[in-house]
Amino acid sequence: MRTVTANKTVRAAAVLAALLGLMTMSASAMHIAEGMLPVPWAIGWGAVCVPFVVAGFFSIKKKIDQAPRAKILLAMCGAFAFVLSALKIPSVSGSCSHPTGVGLGAILFGPLTMTVLGLIVLLFQALLLAHGGLTTLGANVFSMAIAGPILSWLVYKLLRKTKAPAAVAVFAAAALGDLFTYVVTSVQLGVINGGMVKFLTIFAVTQIPLAIAEGLLTVVIFNVLEKYSKTELHELQVL
Amino acid sequence: MGTDRYAYQSCLRRVSPLPKLLLTVVALVICLCCDSVAVGIATLILMGVLITALGGLSPRVYLHFLKVPLIFLVIGCLTIVAGAYPAGTAVVAAIPVGDSLWGFTADGLWLGGRIFCKALGAVGCMYFLALNTPVTDLTMALGKLHVPKLLVELMELIYRFIFVLAETAANIRTAQDSRLGYRGFRRSVSSLGMLASMVFLRAWRKAERIYTALESRGYTGGLTTLNDAYRPGWGLLPLAVLTAAGQIAIWFVEGRLLG
Repeated sequence: MRTVTANKTVRAAAVLAALLGLMTMSASAMHIAEGMLPVPWAIGWGAVCVPFVVAGFFSIKKKIDQAPRAKILLAMCGAFAFVLSALKIPSVSGSCSHPTGVGLGAILFGPLTMTVLGLIVLLFQALLLAHGGLTTLGANVFSMAIAGPILSWLVYKLLRKTKAPAAVAVFAAAALGDLFTYVVTSVQLGVINGGMVKFLTIFAVTQIPLAIAEGLLTVVIFNVLEKYSKTELHELQVL
Repeated sequence: MGTDRYAYQSCLRRVSPLPKLLLTVVALVICLCCDSVAVGIATLILMGVLITALGGLSPRVYLHFLKVPLIFLVIGCLTIVAGAYPAGTAVVAAIPVGDSLWGFTADGLWLGGRIFCKALGAVGCMYFLALNTPVTDLTMALGKLHVPKLLVELMELIYRFIFVLAETAANIRTAQDSRLGYRGFRRSVSSLGMLASMVFLRAWRKAERIYTALESRGYTGGLTTLNDAYRPGWGLLPLAVLTAAGQIAIWFVEGRLLG
């Protein structure tokens, strides 16, 4: 009887150690690396993104035709998204990761604009930092520049409609957008060779603390912005 | 930042970006389509040779850059390889957990190894482009390939602004760090939040100033620049064909040996 319990303890310890090891490892596993997707899937995800990116492109074009100043501002916003994703975010589990910026971008610029800015930012991340890749660009754009932002934006608008406090809405939008991005990524990886549950478990263990950290961070950012740059936020029609 | 610095120093810097893009795309597509261990490793080595011999990059830097995506690849492949199997499955190594075995099977290892090697080859191809072509050249090439003008312009502007904002962010971070702003989780989050919002604010103000400066110089919505004088780089075209031929030959040889 005693050996059985001892065995169980050892097993539990082994599983725990493995999970902790993964936790520090997958600190920045949000991008699908170059070459991880077979050709049909790479093309498929790219094709899925096309209508969203085209819609985003025309919405940006309309904005710029109305006010040429918007072009410079949008470019600055894109660069901000890149720099934001390159920052190191402290995580509850002690490891470091990078914020996705999915929630903040969606709240500030809207999901349509985010598709185009996200596409450019992800391309630059692939080329300059080797985060993500050229063939996996479609899949990454879908998870990080389309699915995540749309969910974030919906959550934010919905919670604001129900008169929830701004901080709650921002936190929920950022954290849920983050989580949804990871869910989409694990589905994209898992659907090919099976084992979606595996990817989801690993992501759940490692990414829930990160999502909470990013949610808190986004609330802090939003509070400071609300204090010091009300006019800019009004121009973006966030408030 | 990242590969950018080395791209400007590359010996292929003055070569027109289009043949470089072509070589990359061809090698990348073949590497992915073959989906084999040998082709993946061969592509990786071949790209390493091309980058160091033609681009003049030191092999140590190439190896250093290969380490960057490695962590993504290892996690992804480990997740594919490791799994829970019902008791009685033929496994290579496993620990029993409850009724099932957690570990690796031979098939799983083979699959993971194939994906890993294929992905490494693909990363090598991407680096051939990234380490030899500055982004400004690449955007120009995209313009020639009839990517919408607005998109290309946005890319050029974003590329420029990234460096401006990254410098601002790094300065603020140093200032915060020297005042113990990153001690503990709570303080880190508040410092980082302040940093991000200040960078946003400065970005916005800077954009307004840039727009004013542009408008006072007669800006009407387009930034036209002259193309650089490139060397045509026709020599890269036979090289692309040779690379493709080599990859396919290795694929055939591997197929023969295994099957």
